[in-house]
Formats: sequence, structure tokens, C-alpha cells
Amino acid sequence: MKLTTALMGAAATLVLTPAAFADGHEGERGRDGQLNIIYWQAPSTLNPYLSGGTKEIESASMIVEPLARFNEVGEMVPWLAESIPTVENGGVAEDLTSITWTLKEGVLWSDGTPFTAEDAIFTWEYCTHPEGGCANINYFDGVTSMEAVDDRTLKITFDAPKPFPYTALVGSESPIIQKAQFENCIGAAAPTCTEQNFGPIGTGPFKVDEFKANDVIQLSANENFREAGKPAFATVLFKGGGDAAASARSVLETGEFDYAWNLQIDPQVLSDMEQVGIGTVAVAFATSVERLMVNQTNPDPALGDERATLAHPHPFLTDRAVGRAMSMAIDRSLLVEVGYGAGGQPTCNVLPAPEAYASTANDDCLTQDIEGAKQVLEDAGWTDTNGNGIRDKDGIELEVLYQTSTNAVRQDTQALIKQWWSEIGIETELRNIDASVFFGSDPGSPDTFQKFFADVEMYTNNFAGVDPEAYMARWLCSDIPSPENQWQGNNNQRFCDPAYDALVDEMSQTADLDRRAELAKQMNDMLMQSYSIIPLIHRGNPSAHANSLGGVKMNDWDSEIWNVKDWYRTE
Amino acid sequence: MFNFTIRRLILTIPTLLFISFVIFLIVKLSPSDPTGNLPLTIPAEVREQIREALGVNQPLIVQYLKWLQQFFWIEPLIYLENATGWDLGAGDATRLISYQTRSPVMDLIMQRMPQTLWVVGTAYVVGILIALPIGVISAYKQYSVFDQVGTFVSMVGFSVPPFFSGVVVIVLFSVIIPSDSFFWLPSIYDTTHRVTDWDSFVYQFRQMIMPVMVLALQITAQISRFTRASMLDNLNQDYVRTARAKGLRERTVVLLHVLRNSMIPVVTVIALGIPSIFGGAIITEQVFKVNGLGQLLILSIQGGDVPTVQTLTFIFAILIVLFNLIADILYGLLDPRIRYD
Amino acid sequence: MALDMKTEPLVRVQNLKMHFPIYGGLLQRKVGDVKAVDGISFDIYEGETLGLVGESGCGKSTVGRAVLRLYDITDGAIRIDGDDIATADAGKLRSMRPLMQMIFQDPQASLNPRMTVADIIAEPLREHVKMSKIEREDRVLELMDQVGLNKEFANRYPHEFSGGQRQRIGIARALALNPKFIVCDEPIAALDVSIQAQVVNLLEELQDRLGLTYLFISHDLSMVRHIADRVAVMYLGQIAELAPRAELYEAPLHPYTQALLSAVPEPDPNIEEQVERIILTGDVPSPSNPPQGCNFCTRCPQVMEICKTVEPQFQEVQPGRFVACHLHQIAENAASEAHKSIQQGEIT
Repeated sequence: MKLTTALMGAAATLVLTPAAFADGHEGERGRDGQLNIIYWQAPSTLNPYLSGGTKEIESASMIVEPLARFNEVGEMVPWLAESIPTVENGGVAEDLTSITWTLKEGVLWSDGTPFTAEDAIFTWEYCTHPEGGCANINYFDGVTSMEAVDDRTLKITFDAPKPFPYTALVGSESPIIQKAQFENCIGAAAPTCTEQNFGPIGTGPFKVDEFKANDVIQLSANENFREAGKPAFATVLFKGGGDAAASARSVLETGEFDYAWNLQIDPQVLSDMEQVGIGTVAVAFATSVERLMVNQTNPDPALGDERATLAHPHPFLTDRAVGRAMSMAIDRSLLVEVGYGAGGQPTCNVLPAPEAYASTANDDCLTQDIEGAKQVLEDAGWTDTNGNGIRDKDGIELEVLYQTSTNAVRQDTQALIKQWWSEIGIETELRNIDASVFFGSDPGSPDTFQKFFADVEMYTNNFAGVDPEAYMARWLCSDIPSPENQWQGNNNQRFCDPAYDALVDEMSQTADLDRRAELAKQMNDMLMQSYSIIPLIHRGNPSAHANSLGGVKMNDWDSEIWNVKDWYRTE
Repeated sequence: MFNFTIRRLILTIPTLLFISFVIFLIVKLSPSDPTGNLPLTIPAEVREQIREALGVNQPLIVQYLKWLQQFFWIEPLIYLENATGWDLGAGDATRLISYQTRSPVMDLIMQRMPQTLWVVGTAYVVGILIALPIGVISAYKQYSVFDQVGTFVSMVGFSVPPFFSGVVVIVLFSVIIPSDSFFWLPSIYDTTHRVTDWDSFVYQFRQMIMPVMVLALQITAQISRFTRASMLDNLNQDYVRTARAKGLRERTVVLLHVLRNSMIPVVTVIALGIPSIFGGAIITEQVFKVNGLGQLLILSIQGGDVPTVQTLTFIFAILIVLFNLIADILYGLLDPRIRYD
Repeated sequence: MALDMKTEPLVRVQNLKMHFPIYGGLLQRKVGDVKAVDGISFDIYEGETLGLVGESGCGKSTVGRAVLRLYDITDGAIRIDGDDIATADAGKLRSMRPLMQMIFQDPQASLNPRMTVADIIAEPLREHVKMSKIEREDRVLELMDQVGLNKEFANRYPHEFSGGQRQRIGIARALALNPKFIVCDEPIAALDVSIQAQVVNLLEELQDRLGLTYLFISHDLSMVRHIADRVAVMYLGQIAELAPRAELYEAPLHPYTQALLSAVPEPDPNIEEQVERIILTGDVPSPSNPPQGCNFCTRCPQVMEICKTVEPQFQEVQPGRFVACHLHQIAENAASEAHKSIQQGEIT
């Protein structure tokens, strides 16, 4: 296992190097023929605002583009904008209530018409229309107006100081669509515009020739693309469907495809396939963390309507000693080895990246300590008084119900953790729920992760982009799901601490990046030390590409294929 | 027979309405959420807005009636308009829209139809063409080596699921055999491929071989067993002895007398199996990325896409009811002993 | 006529054996034989009717089918009208089919349900006779007329007819090629009693008119008495007794024949009460494992020690009367001579 990890690392560095020689691969547009990409989940539309799913957003990222993107290390790079506006260069107002972008000169849509600030404004109007059901509307949170100072200057005004103003029209989730094309598709009319949604006109390196929903996209090079000699490929076949193992096989074993996305399969199988030698697995890490949420409220069905609400604190999981022991008993490295391989790293933080925001205060959880965990419980008064192998105190037995979505890796993880917890005297009952039910938000279903009618639940969450402010604000007291808000809310483990709320508030008013990092770490540590969240794995996104494909820069901060314009054939 | 057909056709209307309602309830009442598969980074309010825009929160009965109107009135109208160029006033009506793709469900289905019919339909035809001779010969030479081998192959075909046999042939023909070899076959079906000349036809043929054969194995297994049993039934009948006593050639006896009579139940079974062609082959389509109707159905189920699931299952229901009727009529036509009036 | 044995027989069957293999075990290997017919011999003369009677399962239908080579026989010789049937190849056999025909027990099952009456009757004509379509149609109608079927029904399917009518179709079909020899395999067993007589009368009438020769297989002793000239009694794959009708019914020699005849109900209730029935005990042994010695020894009321070890010869004990029983065994020499003479067909 160690060896494979090392190989992966080596591979990852190799992936980065060709960029340096990119100049050697220049030539006329379309010189390298066809590029074959396989996403085993097929995109169902090419309008990222109508789906919000990764597969749609990433496939659309070849066609429509934002003002700026995040590169493979999470840094912002200007895309349709000339440069990144900051307070220093005067692009961002001193009071943080507005930002002014300057668009690149001479950018054309693939239909040959000029790209202007009006298109950007239209995009904002399109997504924020109340009847449109826009999936990425939160990227425009706080925007009160957008105005075109001139064709190439866009001013965005916010309702309050915005310390991190780089959400609207930044990143693959909020690209700019063409006003002329979508003008009549606003609001309730959005879904009726099939032709537009399936074939958006963009500024990106490729344009859509044919789109078959949930099946395949055929693209060809955009002859009006702003960079000369790019893209290197004349056409792209973007195929969807099947499963992760089969798409890995098509790149690593049969060589039918050049690039395969999201290969979360048995790590051993993946590395065996890689041994064939025609392709490489590359992993990008961003902010995804597989974590255990530890319910701070009592999910006992006997409580009726007040079940899992703040009115009834959990009988033993509010005891930090219990949570701490549960965390100490877990061998995260083994979980990685069994279920994630190169696609995961043990982590002790719910905010593991970007590096500036990652705390190191909790790293002792990286080594399993069963004896230590037992001692912690012992010291807190949890002993097995009745000899049934389960620790108890004051008549309360340490028995937990542990739920997650149905998924082979998660069930393996569940089984391992159950074993470790039983070693320290905690009895675990396992449960798994179909993903569409578990992550669904049907208020009538008792099985959603938000209702959390269990003691412990496991899933992965992350935040898009590089700024953790909104992510860390998930754990405000006011964001706890409850019957009053139809169980909508992000604070699923029902963590509530006024001190934490104060930090969230402070961060929302701080523009200084160092201070923001400090605050984020502080909040992360508070959460970690409450043991209401037990982070397990920092999950990466493994993808595979043919060895003959150059220019790939794995990126989990933006669309994986964010720089497809720079890809080329190596021989 | 005519009266019978008309009577049965009229009876299908309440049956289908009832089926549609049951399907609707099942699909609707099962806990699923069209936004459930979206990334968790999308906040709850946004999800709620999406659901609102999709009309998920309307009262059940309204949703059902709307679906009925769209399925039975607006969609046919639009197809009629497109076919004839008349303006029947359907232009502004809201079509049946899929939650996942936000595009008309019917268009999706029409788009998927060709590859499903090509692959699954061809497999069905190939399966039957292989099955009939195997069934006839195994029955005629019961307990011979041929029969034993046939029984074994059928058993394998019955019991080996396509997600296994499919992957085995992929590993054999796409991985182990080098891609420059004549015997190499593509493991991923290219739905955008167009047959325009001989070479593209050859490619189409090659990419169909594996999915078609994997599916045909199952169909062959089923139909050949059925044919064999039916042949054996008839081979021991007195009229076969009569035919032999008449001094007919053995070939005439088997092909004309025995086979024709044995085909009565086989033809019925074949007719009853036709709706399953349209149902697609969920697993095989998935293994070879054919992305036909079966894959559309499974993705829609996973994505909580109620209109698509509802429409697809209902179309299957129509086909099943229809082909049951056709099977009955065929039976009547083939077997003079059956009369429906 | 029956006793006029000077002429060459039309049908001569010698030592006919028909064994069916039994498959068993995991690999469906052959594990034994059902000896359905185990060495029987008889002659049928032109224009006569030989009745073949026996309990169900004794192999009489198999004899009928084997004689026409509807089975590939295990051993023995069959000659019909001077031609060897037993060894003829498929082509030869087919060309001989017009000579010999069969009428089956179940008229429903023996007619192809998907063919019209006209097709059924015309098919052998099409196969064996060169004639125009119109000639063929005429011939079909003529045949239907001959067996008493309404010509209007030519285009109907078999299931639209009653049992008796169906049997008439079967007979018409058998007559189509002007055969000399017809095997009637329980032709009336599946019919109502009221219809049975009609069909039997039709068969007799046709025999008179067309000079047919019948092998009439039946389990109905009284019907056989009515139609047959000579009668053969079968038990467990072998012929127990063969004799002219009158002698056999008057004075049966074989204990099995005696038992069979005693079971025939008497129409007169007074006599019926006085009849002393011979009740056979036990079951018929399995033809796959027949008893040693005499086939009948397990059930014979007059069984002797010898019966259990030595198989009795089938020999002519009186002129024209053959029996296989130790009670009637004549001296070894005479027996073998008589047997030989049968073999050579030179009985004088």
C-alpha cells in the first residue's frame, strides 16, 4: 500500500510537469483530432444553473466560462477577466461592498458575436429569478445589483460588506451564459428551452454539436476561441453511463478513452489496472471530508415530535469523553487502505484545506489508541457494571445507532468502526439508507440525514471554491434542523455554542485573509474538540487519463477539466 | 375474432388508467427527492426553490391529472403537429418535462429508442434465430450429445447474469485481445455513430456484437428450452405417427407437422417478450454503455425524476397490455381450435 | 377363408422383437430395456382380418407400429407383399408406405389440428401420387364419400367434428393410397359405444369392397370376435395363443386365454350369474424384467414347476392352432418340426 501511495505521488507530480513544456506542443487549432472523455454519471443537461450536479457543471465547463477560475492549488486565476480585482488594485471597494471586473478584450461567443458585460448581468438575472429554480443561486447571495460601466467593465454591488467577493460569476458553478440565447428562457420558461439548455453558446474552447441527455455529448473546437492554437483537439466525445470500474477500464486497460472521471472504486482494482501501463491515475484533493456526525440531541422515538430537537440533549453523546473515545478508537489509516487507496488521506479536521486554513491542533487522532480510549471512558465514569460487555453509567448503556447511505465503501467503514467501538465497550447498531432517500429532503421521510433520527451518521461534505466562510457558518445555533424550519438546516449534529456563533460573525466582517484563516482554524478546532463531528477521511477525487494525453492538471477546486483548452496529444 | 379484438381493446382503457394511477402513486409516494443527488454544497433554500419550480409540491391529484392531460392530449397533439405541420394550438402548452434534464420526456424517449431497438431488438431476433434450430434439434435428438450440450448452454445462459457475462466478454475481447487485432471489440457503445458507408457499418456491427450476444445468450436459453419442450410434446403425438405412416419425408414430418404445431405456444411467448425489448436491458445497457431506455429508467429512478419514471413505466404497461392482446389474437390465428367469438 | 392357408401370406412376421432402451442415472446412460415385444411370429393372409388382443400394456400396439416400421425394430423379419420391411432403408420404406396404412386409436390426436380435412386426406396423395390439383380434389371428395363424410366439410378442421366423424377422416386418409394392408390400432376404443358399431361396420364394408387385409388390434374381445377371422392373444410381449376365431372362443387352450374369455360379460343375466370366472391374481410383471420360464407363470392358475424354469415353445398343437404353454407341449421333435414348418411357411 505504501508503495502504491508513493507511486501515486510520483504520478501526480508527473502530471504537473508537462505544463512547463506546453510551449513545445503548440500548433494550429484542432491538430490532435478527437479527445474521448468518459464520465460514468452522464450529464443530464448542459445548463449548470438547472442542475447543480458535478457531472453537469463539469461538462458545461468546456463550453461556458466564468470570470475567474481556481487552479489546481486553489488559487484564483483570471479567465474571462483581465485580472483579479483586489482592494489593493482598486478592483474591490474599500468598504467591501462592491467589486469591479474588467473583461478581456475581444472575447467572442462561439456564434461570433462579442461577449460583453451585459451577458454577465443577464446571467445574474437569469439565476436569481424566483421562479427559475436555479441550482447555483447561492453564488449570487448578497448581490444587489450588477451594472455595465461599459462593455468591458462590470460592477457588482453587495448589500453588505463582502470580505470574500469572489463567488458571483467565479468558478465552474457560475459561468456566464449568452444573453441573446437565453433571453426568452428566464423564470418559469427555463425548462421549456430544451434547445438552449442542451446546447448553450459559450466562450469556452469547445462548442456543442450534439447533446443526448444522460448519454453523450459531441463537441468540436470553437473557431472563435480567444487563444490562438487552442484547443489542440478538433472534437471531443464526452460519453456518460456505466459504472466507475468500467470507465476506469476503458482508459487504463482498453485505451478506448483518454480521460475518466471520479474513479471511486476498490483501490486495489484501480492500481492493478494502472499496472497495464497505458494510463495514469491522478488524484486531486479539495475540501471533501468523510465524517461522523455525532448527534447532540436525543433521537429516542419515545419523544414524539420533540425527537432529535434541542429540547432533549443526547443522554451520553453530549459527554465529550464519549465522543473523544469514539474518535480515538478509529484507525483512519486502515479505513483509507480498505476503502479509498490513493483517493483518501486520514484527517482530523473538518476543514482540511486549503492549506492556509488547515489546523494542526488535532493531529493526534491520526493514530489509533484503543487503550487510551478505554481509559478516557473509564475516567469519565463509564464502566461495564452489569457485565454485558457494554459500558454504562447511571443506568444508561453506551448503545449507538449508526446510519449512512448505501455504498460499499461506507458499509465496510461501518463494519470496521463497529468492531473498534465494541472493543472499547460501545455497542453499535448499523443501518444504511438509499442515497436518494438519505440525502433527499422529503420532510415526510424519517430517514433523511437532516432529521438524523440516529446517534451517529456518516457522509461526505465539502464546500465549493476556496473560501470556508459559508461552510463554517453551517454550525450556527440558528442553522439547526428542527420541525419549526421543516428540518431544513445544515447544522445536522445540532452543535450550539454562542462562542462559535460569535466567531462566525467576526469572520463575516473580516477581509484580512490571515485573520480569516486564523478564525477558520479556531472554529474548526472548537468543532473538533466538541467531538460533535469526528472527521475520518480527507477525500480526493481520483481520475484517470491516458499517458498519451498531456496538459492534464487535476483540480478539485474547480471543474476537473477546467483547463481542457490546454490539453494535447503527447505523440 | 374482430368483435373479440374490439371488446378487448375497449377493456384495456380502464385497465390502463388504473395502472397509470397505481404507478403514479407508487412512484410518488416512495421517498425520493429530485434534488437528493445534488451536491451537498447546494443549500436547502435553493433546493426548495428547485422543487417549487419543478412542481413537486403541488397536490397529488393535481399532479396526476396534469400528467394525464400531458400524456394523453398534449404530447400526441405536439407529435401530430410536428408530423403534419398543422397548427392545433398545442404550441404553448407545457409539455411533459423531466425533472433531471428539464427537457420533454417524450423527446428523451424518442432519442433513446433507436439504440435500444437496435441492440435489444437485434439481440431478440438473433436469440430467436439461434434458439429455434437448437430447440428443434435437441427435441428431435433428445438425450443426444447435442441435446446435452444445448441443455448445458441454456442453463448457463439462464443462470449467468449479464453483469458477469458482459464483463467477462469485455475482459476477453477488449482487454486481453490487443486493440489492433481483428478480433478486438469496443467495450463502449458509441451512440453517436452513424452508419453512412461500409466501414461505418462494419464498426456498428462490431460494437453491437458483444451487447447483442450477451443478451441473445439469455434469450436463446429461454426460447430454445421452450421450443424443445413444445417440440417434445408434439413429437409424441399420434398425428406425427400418422404423418410418418403417410410415408412423408422425415423433414416434412418434423418441419411441417411437428414444428408448425410446436410454434403455436412459442410464437405466443415470443410476442409476449416483445415489450421487454422496449423496456431495454437495464444491466446490459449499463455494462456496455448503450444508454438506451433501460438506462434512462434506472437513472430516472435514482434521480427521483417522477415524470420520466411514470411515463416510461406507463409506456411499458401499454406495450405489455397490447402484446398480451396480440399474443391472444395470434394464438387464435395459429390454432384453429381456438375461437374467441 | 381363414383356414385356407395354401396361399402365400400377405404379411409374415417372424421372431419380431421391439426393445425400448431405458435411460437413467446422472448421465442419462442406458440402464436396461423395456421388452415391449419379445419374439413373436404370425402370418396374415390376403383379405383376412387378424385380431390381436391383450391387456393394455401387453405390447399389442407396439406390434402394430413395429409391423409398419413406425419403429426401428430390434430384431426379427417382416415381409409384406413379398417385400422386406424390417431392413428397408428410409427411401425404400417410404415408397412402400402406400401399400400399408394405419388407423389410430385416438382420432383427435392422430389428426394434425392445424390442417383441414381436405389437406389431411390429400397429403399422402401429394407425396406419393402424381395427379393434378383437380384430380386430387376429386379423389379427396370421393374418399370422403366412401367413408360417409359430408363433402361440404372438406375445409373444416378436425376439432370441428365428432369422434366418430374424426375416425372416418382417419380411415379416409388411410385409404387414400389404395393400401392392401391396414393396421387398425384400437380404432374404436376412444369412441362412444353407439358409434363403435358404425365404424366397425364401415371397416368391414370397406374390406369387402376393396379386398383389404386388417391387423385389428383391440382389447375388446367381443368386438374382435365380431370382426376377426383369426385371433392372436398377447401377454407381456409374446403371443400366448393364436387360433381361428371359432376354435379360440369355443375352446381356448392357454390358461390366459381362458381367463380372458371368462371375464367377458354375458348379456343374459341368468347365464351371467352361473359363469365361473377365473380371477387372475397379482400384477402383470414389468416388461423390463419379465419372469424366468413362462411369461405367465407368476399369475397362471395352473402353474407347474417346469413353467418357472423353462420357456414354453410357441407351436402348432392342432392344425391352425398355435399355443405357447407347457400344458399343451407336444414331443420335442414334433414341436421343433412344427416350429420349423412355421418358420419356413410351409404348413400343409
